[in-house]
Amino acid sequence: MTTCQRCTETATVHVTETVEGRRREIHLCGPCARRAGLIAAEEVPPLPLEGVVQGLILAHVGELVGEVAALTCPDCGLKFMEFRRGGRLGCPRDYEAFSIGLIPILGRTQGATRHVGKRPRRPARGVDRLRLRSLLRRAIAREDYEQAARLRDQLRLEDGDE
Amino acid sequence: MNLDDLTGTSGEWLRGSGPESDIVMCSRIRLARNLADFPFINRASRGEKAEIEATFKSKIIQPGELELSYLDVNGMSSLNRQFLVERQLISREHQAADWPRGVAIGPRENISIMVNEEDHLRIQVMLSGLSLHDVWDRINRLDDQIEARLDYAFSPQLGYLTACPTNVGTGIRVGVMLHLPGLVETKQIEKVFRALQKINLAVRGLYGEGTQAFGDFYQISNQQTLGKSELELIRNLNDVIPQIITYERQARQALLGEKRNQLLDKVSRAYGQLKTAHQISSEETMLLLSSVRLGINLGLIDDLEIPTVNELFIHTQPAHLQRLQGAELSSDERNIARASYLRTKLGNGRLPETE
Ligand SMILES: [Zn+2]
Ligand SMILES: [Zn+2]
Repeated sequence: MTTCQRCTETATVHVTETVEGRRREIHLCGPCARRAGLIAAEEVPPLPLEGVVQGLILAHVGELVGEVAALTCPDCGLKFMEFRRGGRLGCPRDYEAFSIGLIPILGRTQGATRHVGKRPRRPARGVDRLRLRSLLRRAIAREDYEQAARLRDQLRLEDGDE
Repeated sequence: MNLDDLTGTSGEWLRGSGPESDIVMCSRIRLARNLADFPFINRASRGEKAEIEATFKSKIIQPGELELSYLDVNGMSSLNRQFLVERQLISREHQAADWPRGVAIGPRENISIMVNEEDHLRIQVMLSGLSLHDVWDRINRLDDQIEARLDYAFSPQLGYLTACPTNVGTGIRVGVMLHLPGLVETKQIEKVFRALQKINLAVRGLYGEGTQAFGDFYQISNQQTLGKSELELIRNLNDVIPQIITYERQARQALLGEKRNQLLDKVSRAYGQLKTAHQISSEETMLLLSSVRLGINLGLIDDLEIPTVNELFIHTQPAHLQRLQGAELSSDERNIARASYLRTKLGNGRLPETE
């Protein structure tokens, strides 16, 4: 168990950030992380004093902490903080999109950050179908059916390409 | 294959053979795999989930070479879904979900592939006894065959990408199901669990995470999936299991030596109750069968075979019982039907002789 760097509680939020090219880890408890803007502010609005503290923290750790909190997957739209709450990722791209927040978590929970086992024998196809699908989903959401039809055709075409 | 074909039979992994099968009920490995071009289940729309299922069916089931039968779990009654859980072919989470999903089952029930559980695919292979390398050879080949037809989400740095980071990397869960009545009876089981947790192995009940062990059955499996190869993770488990087997055997011998009469009494009463009861709950049946299984392994009961007992563990559970009876039953009716089923199956057995 790591202790919060700002008080004596158990740290539940762990982030690695880079400031001026140097990486460091931050471990905070829920309330302190919320004050630092690391997790979404919920319940209580910060007291004036806490606002001061928050300002100090931000001055020290820079905007990157907020950046981790604001990470969003470009394909599935999942936010890093939603992942921290629910524990499940939204799509394969998240590992890339959240890597600065996720890699330290893997290091702690798995004790490793590099795969050494089996690999697929053949490389996955080059064209990015995950991206096509997310564009399709968005086209449908804004009722752009012409674009949706085009994207669907493109996906079908590639299905036939194998 | 349909559910009716399964009802009267039992999986090959229950046949009670294979190395150390007096203590190791079965060995199993599962691989978590996801398709590269779909969001994970958590984020996939209902339509996308249906597409994942259709893709799997068209590429893996249709060609037929793999000899897999596909069951549509979403369209099933809850009784039938429960039946598949009791059978260890799907998880409780898969049973409880409410979206397009299914399970592909291989001949003799050694293979099951859950489609749209927490990951797009959960591939599982099970064999009787302690035979993890054999299980690995089979599941590795099966995984290759599937990968040749579907694009897996894979990253060179992080390996197979999974919905939960606790599975990323190899995506492997290597597990053995152990029957440990001796360690339970001699109250050493907690000590064993603590030692296992220290070396990163998880202990679970019969039906997975968060479930209680009943009938003295425990599943032991790896927790780490990243930074170690599949074979290293299998080796880790293979190194530890023989020690647990040795402890269990020592505990059994100690009971035979120091508490022979108590043990004989417990085993005979259990056997007697199973053969004579007129209503009996599922939990009590599990506990009594556990004692009977121990009795057979110690030579105290000689007119009953391990495969029969293994089968009774599965067939006396609620959904199996109701499918065998061909009717939905209330809890009381089930207790009566269960007792009658047990009396029929154990009818001619003799009780062990006391000294
Ligand atoms: Zn704190
Ligand atoms: Zn995503």
